[in-house]
Amino acid sequence: MNFNEIVVHFPALATMVLFLGAFLVTIFGGKNRGVRVFLAMLAATCSFVMVLCVAKYVIIDGNMITYWLGNWSPVKDYAIGIGLEVDALNAFFALLVTVTTYLSGWYSIKYMSRDEGGDYYYTLYLMLSGSVLGLVLTGDIFNMFVMIEIMTFACVALTAFRNWSKGSLEAAFKYLVLGSLGSTCTLSGIALLYAQAHTLNMAQLSAFLSGTLNQPNVVLALALLLTGFGVKSYCVPFHFVAADAYQAAPASVSMLFSGMVNKAGVYGLIRVCYIIFQSMGLSTVQTLLVAIGTVSMFVGVTMALSQHDFKRLLAFHSISQIGYVITAVGLGTALGVAGGLYHAMNHTLFKGLLFLCAGAVYYATGTTNLDKMGGLSKKMPQTCLIFLIAAFSISGLPPFNGFVSKWTIYQAVYEKAVSGGIGYLFVAIVALITSVLTLASFIKVTQSVFFGHSRESFRDVKEVPGSMLVPMWILAILCVVTGVWHEQVTAKLLTPATNAVMNVTRYVDEMMGVGYAAKYMGANEVVYSSEMVTAGGIWNPWTWLMLFGIILVAFVLVSAMGKSGRGKVIDAAKSDDKHQVFFGGEVADASAVVGSDLFWGFRKNFSGYFKVLGGIHSGVVNDYAMWAVCTLAVIIVYLNVVL
Amino acid sequence: MTFDPMWLFYILVFPGVLFCFVGGTLLNGLDRKIYAKMQKRIGPPIAQPFYDFMKLMGKETIIPYEANRTVYMAAPVVGFIALVTTMLFLPIFGFHAFGGVNADMIVIIYLLTIPAVSLIVGGAASGSPYAGVGLSREMVAVISYELPLVIVLLAVGRKAGGDGVTFSLKAIADYQAANGALISHWSMIPAALAMLLVVPCEVGSHPFDVAEAETEICEGPLVEYSGAPLGVFKLNYYVKQLVCSALFSALFLGGKGTGMVALDAVIFYLECFVVTFFSTTLIRAITARLKVEQVFKFFWTVVAGLALVSLVLAWYGL
Amino acid sequence: MMIENYVCAIILLALGMYMLMVKKNLIQVVCGLGLLDYGVNLFIVSIGYNEGATAPLYIASELEYLGQEGAVYFVDPVPQALTLTSIVIGACVTAMALSIVIRIGQNYGTLDADKIRRLRG
Repeated sequence: MNFNEIVVHFPALATMVLFLGAFLVTIFGGKNRGVRVFLAMLAATCSFVMVLCVAKYVIIDGNMITYWLGNWSPVKDYAIGIGLEVDALNAFFALLVTVTTYLSGWYSIKYMSRDEGGDYYYTLYLMLSGSVLGLVLTGDIFNMFVMIEIMTFACVALTAFRNWSKGSLEAAFKYLVLGSLGSTCTLSGIALLYAQAHTLNMAQLSAFLSGTLNQPNVVLALALLLTGFGVKSYCVPFHFVAADAYQAAPASVSMLFSGMVNKAGVYGLIRVCYIIFQSMGLSTVQTLLVAIGTVSMFVGVTMALSQHDFKRLLAFHSISQIGYVITAVGLGTALGVAGGLYHAMNHTLFKGLLFLCAGAVYYATGTTNLDKMGGLSKKMPQTCLIFLIAAFSISGLPPFNGFVSKWTIYQAVYEKAVSGGIGYLFVAIVALITSVLTLASFIKVTQSVFFGHSRESFRDVKEVPGSMLVPMWILAILCVVTGVWHEQVTAKLLTPATNAVMNVTRYVDEMMGVGYAAKYMGANEVVYSSEMVTAGGIWNPWTWLMLFGIILVAFVLVSAMGKSGRGKVIDAAKSDDKHQVFFGGEVADASAVVGSDLFWGFRKNFSGYFKVLGGIHSGVVNDYAMWAVCTLAVIIVYLNVVL
Repeated sequence: MTFDPMWLFYILVFPGVLFCFVGGTLLNGLDRKIYAKMQKRIGPPIAQPFYDFMKLMGKETIIPYEANRTVYMAAPVVGFIALVTTMLFLPIFGFHAFGGVNADMIVIIYLLTIPAVSLIVGGAASGSPYAGVGLSREMVAVISYELPLVIVLLAVGRKAGGDGVTFSLKAIADYQAANGALISHWSMIPAALAMLLVVPCEVGSHPFDVAEAETEICEGPLVEYSGAPLGVFKLNYYVKQLVCSALFSALFLGGKGTGMVALDAVIFYLECFVVTFFSTTLIRAITARLKVEQVFKFFWTVVAGLALVSLVLAWYGL
Repeated sequence: MMIENYVCAIILLALGMYMLMVKKNLIQVVCGLGLLDYGVNLFIVSIGYNEGATAPLYIASELEYLGQEGAVYFVDPVPQALTLTSIVIGACVTAMALSIVIRIGQNYGTLDADKIRRLRG
């Protein structure tokens, strides 16, 4: 047996090994911490390696994997069994999922060591990872629903894991209510599709559904599935529970949430809109997604500006960044999809890193309240440096990765405005401003957590142990690598994934047999353009880095030459007490400027807006359900009117 | 891209480090001299900024008790280098130091953010509460001018893009070489005015110097800085003035040029001086400092409105 | 075909959503979730129904007989399998929701949704 024969089994095995690990941890890991960590990491490692092989086979070599569970291949052009289909898009998301899982697993060994019930934690952790991996690898839409449900349960349980901490129970309950509402929408949509097509296979569904978007049943199904996956991707206005859950869950779990759970929602949206319904050629569906994305972007970032909790702030940034992804994907152009996928990947990297930083700060100090922290950069220099890398990445400063993906998205939006109308200019402006506001709110975190006046109560704070720092460093390095080698990333990873999104025929044919699409879709076949039209943007990080390096060397040389005896450096912390007077301001002054109040110049002008938003995020579960139901109604009405 | 020895000249002399250093200090000296003349004062010698810089380089540097030493020392240098690299990417009439294939307008916006961020992070690293106030104001100033700046760039990109849109600085320079400077197109005049107002906010001069505000919060982020790092931060102000003026010149005052790089450079520098005069010196002389929320309101309503007018006009092909 | 089934399913769904939006007691919210599940289950199982058909269990000779008639004589089994899965999931939702509600009741001393909002803004 050679590699190519074995690798086709890996999508199913990679999912199963995680579920198997979950059961083994429950059975054998109850007593001994070492055993359960070993089992959990063994399962995660196996899955990671298998997905890497799949990614190589699918993305690099350009193959596709179709795998019929139990070998129930289609009979007379009808898919009866459950099939797994892995094209470059699936493989791309599977890669994100396993990288997140794997690093989060290493991180939680130490991070969760102080908590009780570690066996439950690892069981749920593996269930969550397995379900999301299954979700992104399956080719069967009902299988997808089942995976969503397992995912929701694991998420709810993990949110409530630290049930002694503030608000974790209510966050879990709200999550469960909204999650079930979303699942109900998804299941209703699937049922409607089944009633039409009598199949659950996504490839066959997309062949059947081509050219049927004028039928009210199909439109209703589209609306329901859009809402269902919208809830899972936590875009506005389904985002309320995300903020609560991210805040209440342990940081390693928050990383899973933002790294893969909402990516699963994005994956679902892409799959539904592009492949199953082939609706992304229609400007009305594009408008819907772009509108949702733009609102998410702005609402997320402005809510983040008024937060007092480190992780809640990060949660709102997740919502904002997912807004970028949905906007880009909603453009319907190849460059938009590439930018959206790029940003999804970068968001997994830098937001995971930020949550790990928040976790490290919590591990060291026992709090995530921004108003109670300060001056940690001297106690935790490595965490501070990693945090700065992540913060600059998410704010989109060159040469980090966030810049490249945002830059791609700006170009896609701007270019889209030429054909799509002047409204897209507004989207471009909002996207650019959101980026600056993101920077602002991370400046706030930097100032109130790592810099500023150090607190007396944190005198004994120490840097977190190495097993937590290593995953963080890996993510930090990935942030830089994907930013600097952006042309290679685009060529090797994103172009295949984008082509997979843009090529419905290939998806159908690979699953159902060659010629199926031509036979059943015929003239209704939707052909997306997979040519990436840019707005003439150029960014060459290597030249910039080279310039930066040369000037730095010149600078160092000049300053070394000029140093002869003059301008000596005195470190007040190391010299005698007389230099301590050069600290401007007393302790009493420091307490007046708490981190959450940094931007009153901005907030004062928007006070009405912030008041309204604060009212909307009321914390009452009924209100959140109301938003979801109303949005569902609006989407149904909108799609029925325009399609 | 293979290394070309000429690049070292570009990087270190023109339009790189030396040009930025001399040009920036000279620009600031001229600015101060004219400003003094407007107030019927004699004013400092034109080389005063240079003297200031050299003096600061020779002073003791005291790292405050609460400061994070590495970040505190590195911040000004990073800001300076980012400014010089921005200058290297800007076209000077037909002249592109690196062929114009390395950075576009969006990159320029973000590169121009780095000096502000380095100022903010440096201030934060010094650990002083006054710096905390100053850096929050600096950040609000960045948010304020970013919206009009973005709209201006979108308008320029539409105008220079012909039927489509472009972010490429080379395309903008070529468009101006073919069709005359953008400021001579009447639909771009509101955008140019908006950009003229963005420049003083970006460099932090009156009436938008909320971040330093010497009289209120003792230079804000710089309150703890002394000696060489302070000198580099001061130099950053001078260079930022030059780079922002140069961005204006590249976007709105381009053209064919004379064909000789040396002469072009002189003309370009004169343009920068004129931009500095109108955007910084004149406005500084006739206004008093605004409050931070007023700055924000002014930029998001008046200036953004001006830029938006241009964007809409350009969008419909005018 | 079976219009009353569909109407019922939609009414159940609507009632479930209504309870989620309006009822302030968490137990009643959980009941709303249950109603949503039942609505969807009824909907799915109705999809597979054929007028006058029997259960989808047959022996080979019956199959031949059916083939001769050329008519559909048994209901679609797939929706029934889906419904079964969905019922199991629904039971899990209810169990999990109730267990969380119990803990909320212990920690907060109330089940009023308006009072359980420590996380907001």
